[in-house]
Amino acid sequence: MQPIVEFREVTFSYPRADKPAIKNIGFNLYPGEFLAMIGPTGAGKSTLCYCFNGVVPQLFSGTLNGTIIVSGYDTCQVDIPVLAEHVGLVVQNARTQLFNVTVLQEVGFGCENLGWPRHEIQKRVEEALAFVGLSGYESRQPSALSGGQQQRVAIACVLAMNPEILVLDEPTSELDPVGSEQVMEVIARLNRELGKTIFMVTHDMEFVAKYASRVLVLNDGCLMEDGTPENIFAKEDLLKGARIRPPQVCEVSQQLRQDGYSIPQIPISLEGGVDTFRRLRDE
Amino acid sequence: MSDNEIIRCQDLHFSYPNGLEALKNINLTISRGEYVAFVGQNGSGKTTLVKHFNGLLKPTQGSVQVFGEETRGKKVSALARKVGYVFQNPDDMLFCSSVEEEVAYGPTMLGFEAAEVKEKVESILQELGLVAHKETHPFALSLGDRQRLAVACVLSLDPEVFAFDEPTTGQDYFGGESIMELVDQLHDKGKTILIITHDMPLVAEHAHRVVVINQGQIALDGTPKDVFSQTEYLRTLSLRSPQVTLLAQNLGLKDRTVLNIEEMVAWLEKEYLPAPKKVTGGIA
Amino acid sequence: MMNIDFASLSSPLQKLDGRTKLIALLGIFILALLFSQPYYVLGLLVLVLVIWWIGRLPWNLIKTILQFLLVIAIIILVVQIFFYPGKTNLVHISAPIKFIGFSGYITLEGLMFGIAMVLRLVVIMIVAPLMVMTTPLPEFMVALVKLKVPYRFAFIMTTALSLLPSIQNHAAIIQQAQLCRGITNFENKNLVTKLRAMAGLLVPLILGTFRDSQTLDVAMSSRAFGAPVKRTFLLESRLSAVDYIILVTTVLLLVAGIYLRIRGYGAL
Repeated sequence: MQPIVEFREVTFSYPRADKPAIKNIGFNLYPGEFLAMIGPTGAGKSTLCYCFNGVVPQLFSGTLNGTIIVSGYDTCQVDIPVLAEHVGLVVQNARTQLFNVTVLQEVGFGCENLGWPRHEIQKRVEEALAFVGLSGYESRQPSALSGGQQQRVAIACVLAMNPEILVLDEPTSELDPVGSEQVMEVIARLNRELGKTIFMVTHDMEFVAKYASRVLVLNDGCLMEDGTPENIFAKEDLLKGARIRPPQVCEVSQQLRQDGYSIPQIPISLEGGVDTFRRLRDE
Repeated sequence: MSDNEIIRCQDLHFSYPNGLEALKNINLTISRGEYVAFVGQNGSGKTTLVKHFNGLLKPTQGSVQVFGEETRGKKVSALARKVGYVFQNPDDMLFCSSVEEEVAYGPTMLGFEAAEVKEKVESILQELGLVAHKETHPFALSLGDRQRLAVACVLSLDPEVFAFDEPTTGQDYFGGESIMELVDQLHDKGKTILIITHDMPLVAEHAHRVVVINQGQIALDGTPKDVFSQTEYLRTLSLRSPQVTLLAQNLGLKDRTVLNIEEMVAWLEKEYLPAPKKVTGGIA
Repeated sequence: MMNIDFASLSSPLQKLDGRTKLIALLGIFILALLFSQPYYVLGLLVLVLVIWWIGRLPWNLIKTILQFLLVIAIIILVVQIFFYPGKTNLVHISAPIKFIGFSGYITLEGLMFGIAMVLRLVVIMIVAPLMVMTTPLPEFMVALVKLKVPYRFAFIMTTALSLLPSIQNHAAIIQQAQLCRGITNFENKNLVTKLRAMAGLLVPLILGTFRDSQTLDVAMSSRAFGAPVKRTFLLESRLSAVDYIILVTTVLLLVAGIYLRIRGYGAL
């Protein structure tokens, strides 16, 4: 299968920074994947997100080495508006990325900028709002919505432009449990039902275990590891070095292993844990 | 009210000026030295409630007494010396041009002598590990250090009660642990701790008492073990119990609640699982 | 102030196209500046008040505006009374110190000019809400664009306005945070102390606004802002018969006003 996104030896330094924000990043993203990126604060995860749609290096000045190919386009050769139809970027703080007076205006903003015909925009906005579960919210003020609703509006905003790839930078960090669940459900359905390729930065390891098919670990600007959640959460030293705490069920299993119990595969989810420990008991 | 009860709410009702009823019928007492977590969804009223304890909000009906006195009619700046409040975004609290200046601001304003202020500042900076940054501009610090600085500024007023608004939200695991270590230290020194949060593992691992707020009313009030044992009820309130708690329950543990990794491992090894099979054979 | 509840207002002015209102506003503006004879400006003020009444806008807002302008109005009046070079002397004031420009007399012309200037100010300040309170920001933006204002500029203006509430919110939070630091200045009755306290809000507020604006920049660009194509506007903006009538009336009034002025009427 052809990759839909390619990072080839990408290094980027912000102006006046004494070291690069990301160093020698190389990986491929394949259509339909759900990839989670984890790592400590300051590892360069946001910078990497901005590389997908040309915000780095076109909006943020700095030195970029290497190439990023998104849906066949080189992000340095093509303007951001062109990439906007292929990559939808949603940033962490829901409130700050919404600036229109009504949800209708907000969700339609991107399509308006692209000059699409009016009836087309109206259709897209309706569909996008329906998908995120906010039909009927067209005349509401985005600033008056809850955090979870705001983040879903933000997703609808990029969804309306119909990109194949969605990049989400810590979409649930600032949300309460209800909001987080709502947003994660939408993201999961974007992948499952619409086949969108998802690249998500997060600190919530339980979500990673539940939804992601692949995990990238970023630390100090470098890609440390690339594997399935099962592989990554079993690597104690790697996680400790990257200041990441795996789901509690992993920690419990690691401790049991150390105390002499035979656990061939570290479970990463609640169900997996129940299964493993029951089997261990019944052996 | 006994000498040990430092915060008391009686039939507290609060409505915002636009009419929105945020708190209904709150009756609550907090004693000296407690470590209380206020949990609930956003909009449940947990922050609204805690803001009554330092006078940022005054009750529309009912009474709030702090250290024996009604908050109505008291200025926030005066109550700040008894009940400290650390905001979620430390940048909202900082405005001086050096760390030293920030920490010195409170005591200077309270009228302490210059020598005393210097002593206080030194000791607080030591305690919070900020001595190396004495001359640094606050906004040049990392987020974690800015949080510590905000705590230092509140500490400089020497309040007995510390309220923390979402101390770990938006941070990675390490950042969260770092600030919680600090909170635990303050508690060990005898401060009364109030934390507003929706981070359930944090609550399970640190708090001694959990007050669950739902739609402006107290839904649950008890120890973490009591509160987290009610998984079904918590689910209706859209609150997630820690993974180990759910794990133990799903494996059949009914008479107790597991709150953290250590308890889980202990239970599994001592009661649930048979002894580990000895691994025979080795390196010849 | 910006969270205007348009739905509850139900003013006939809301049915007008944004362009009509902008042009009429501009027309009234020019007319106000044309005349320095208080009677003419008074006539204009009456016209504006009639529009206010037709628009069913709240009268207590006029009261608030007048209260707000009181201090400035007095200053203007005083300055003009003393310093306007008039001919008809009314009152002789023997000043112990010679002011530059003070002739020693309060003149009738000075008084009239002062009144005219105050009335001008009132007209301009009342006309602004007529527009703002009856036009949601998206309509305002479309109106500007249709009047050939470059999109980027119109966008900056309207977005800045729509972000004011969130800046206000942030300022309130910073104020609360500083109260919790024990700062008493906000709660002080003294105006100077209060102002100093407000100044202390500025640094965290500006920093926060700056950070937010960077995020906004990323969000906007990611949604193709500034794409080199002809931009679509969801909001339709069409001129109705009433719009044309008002536009024609505005032009006629302007022509009449300019004609009168050229003929020497309306000036002192």
